[in-house]
Amino acid sequence: MKASTPSKKSLTLALALGAGVAAVASTLNPAQAQTGSAKLKACFVYVGPRGDIGWTYAHDQARQAAEKALPWLETKYVESVQEGQALPAIDRLVADKCQVIFTTSFGYMDDTLAAAKKYPNVIFAHAAGYKRAPNMATYMADFYQIYYLNGLVAGALTKSGKVGFVGTFPIPELKRHLSAFALGVKAANPKAVVDVKWLNSWFDPAKTREASEALLSQGDDVLSSAEDSATGVQTAAARKVPTFSHYNSMYKFSPDYVVAGHIAHWDKIYIDFLTKVHSGTYTAKNLANVDYWSLMNTGAVESGADAGVAVNPKWVPQLKAAKMTVAGKTVSVYDRLMALTADMKSPKPTFDPFMGPIKDRNGIVRVPAGKVASVAELNSMGWIAPGVVGAVADEPKK
Amino acid sequence: MNDILDALLRALAFGTPLLLASLGAIVNERAGVVNLGVEGMMALGALAGFAVAYGGGMGGNLWLAVLAAMLVGAVAALLHAFVTITLRANQFVSGLSLTLLGLGLSGLLGKKFEGFPLFNQPPQWPFTVGAIVLAVVLGGVLQFTRVGLTLRSVGENPAAADVLGLNVGLVRYAAVAVGGALAGLAGAYLSLVYRPSWTDGMTAGLGWIAVALVIFVGWSPLRAVFGSVFFGLLYYLQFRLQGQSPVPTEVFSAMPYVLVIVVLGIAGLRGQQGAAPEALGQPYTRGER
Repeated sequence: MKASTPSKKSLTLALALGAGVAAVASTLNPAQAQTGSAKLKACFVYVGPRGDIGWTYAHDQARQAAEKALPWLETKYVESVQEGQALPAIDRLVADKCQVIFTTSFGYMDDTLAAAKKYPNVIFAHAAGYKRAPNMATYMADFYQIYYLNGLVAGALTKSGKVGFVGTFPIPELKRHLSAFALGVKAANPKAVVDVKWLNSWFDPAKTREASEALLSQGDDVLSSAEDSATGVQTAAARKVPTFSHYNSMYKFSPDYVVAGHIAHWDKIYIDFLTKVHSGTYTAKNLANVDYWSLMNTGAVESGADAGVAVNPKWVPQLKAAKMTVAGKTVSVYDRLMALTADMKSPKPTFDPFMGPIKDRNGIVRVPAGKVASVAELNSMGWIAPGVVGAVADEPKK
Repeated sequence: MNDILDALLRALAFGTPLLLASLGAIVNERAGVVNLGVEGMMALGALAGFAVAYGGGMGGNLWLAVLAAMLVGAVAALLHAFVTITLRANQFVSGLSLTLLGLGLSGLLGKKFEGFPLFNQPPQWPFTVGAIVLAVVLGGVLQFTRVGLTLRSVGENPAAADVLGLNVGLVRYAAVAVGGALAGLAGAYLSLVYRPSWTDGMTAGLGWIAVALVIFVGWSPLRAVFGSVFFGLLYYLQFRLQGQSPVPTEVFSAMPYVLVIVVLGIAGLRGQQGAAPEALGQPYTRGER
């Protein structure tokens, strides 16, 4: 969109002004200037505005939590950096003496790798990608397990047998989440399908509104949105349809219709990573194999409508009444949900949504029986699980 | 049948802010002043509206919120008026700066309002019906009244209007302020009705579609009603038809801009400037031609 560029520029200007004021203030206050000298400076590149309430908001909350927890840490961020334009932002941060740079969107992957080569002494960490270098680690607090759990909930609650999913970009991460969600829906309700609409944008509330409305008018009666604002939740609530928190608690946007969801705690990763950089465990030479693939058992992600609330109490009776078949036995969806949540939070989970045998929606075997999809396979996923209705770009034919 | 009604209702919901903002732009452009700051004024209006309606979480007065949004939009527009009418600066540059300023300032001042839902939201229909009524009234005013004639003559031939004893500067100031107030109102609709919440960058290019719409409808308020519903329909259909139509949905999302280029191209082929006011974009200096 045309508008995001001006927005970014003016924000940068405002931030620059702010930084100038801060610099003046610190020279006026010698005590502050002294403590600042031994600090580790970690900087963040955000894809959306900090206040999007979704992805970027979660990263920024974690940045603040890390700064609070680590007295030797100093942080800085740039927000609303378009994908493909990360390099100029990184150049600026390096010039600003950032020692560790976190780039927080899939689309920054190649720019981050290029920057890692350009600045061999700076430590980089890239979220949601799979390319690494001696001075570039990867990290991801991934939700595919929770998408499966949310799918169970959606399958149990749909009356029309049609569940809506607002997708952002059809990249492996979203395909993984969509497929895990559809597998969950199918497990709880074999006849149900998942309708998908793509935005081709990470943050665009107007698009989310109309994509959600389009799904609802097609007869979908449960809605899940992957866009980085609460608009999906608000649209679902306005039409009295159950929905899910996304990256953060969105419970307060609709205490009646947010049933479950996923919440990220990126600070678990940031604090651990930065502590190891500070102590010298991680250097700009030994990160080629460092990948934080953080699932439910690390505490970096949580399944819930609100922090500490796995399922909205208002919907528990309906989930208890809904039945599903697990290994030939009939159990309530609620019990299954609780059992799987406990398993996934345990140190060695026995259940994985992508446990074979799994065929894609074209009938091709993607995970053979007795196997579990590897992290590498999950990170490059192109195929789509059965039950998903709607076009998905780059879906392999063979 | 139900699908058609659904689509029409969504077109009206999405088209309402486009209509409000473009009506405002029509007023100031008919007086000869282009204001590319619509996006920025919308963002400022959206923030002002949300801040007042939110009222520190206690819930404020909704009509006061709407008024605040219009006032903030008008004040922002007056800045553009001062720079372009009094100082005779380039209207396009000043308008772009206003967009930058509006987006940046609203983002900065809006930080503390991010992440909160609005529970006391106004209904949609007063905005939608009001916008359509306003379009009809504005069409009549421009066509049949002395005020309309004054506005048009200032936009078409300011020198002649000056000779007739009209205060060109004053008329233009007023027209720009009205344009800003309506852009602010469009912003309030977004943050109070359509979302309803505040986030940095939430206008997401809608202001630019409104600017394009003005050209597409040939500066006519009545045609703007159909234009905004049409653009709204295209916007909705890109999602409704996704996966169900052989036409890639990107075609629908690009359509507003494509149509504007087509309309301008046709006007160009006919050897005329379309229906654009003669003096659009030109600062007026007494005694110069």
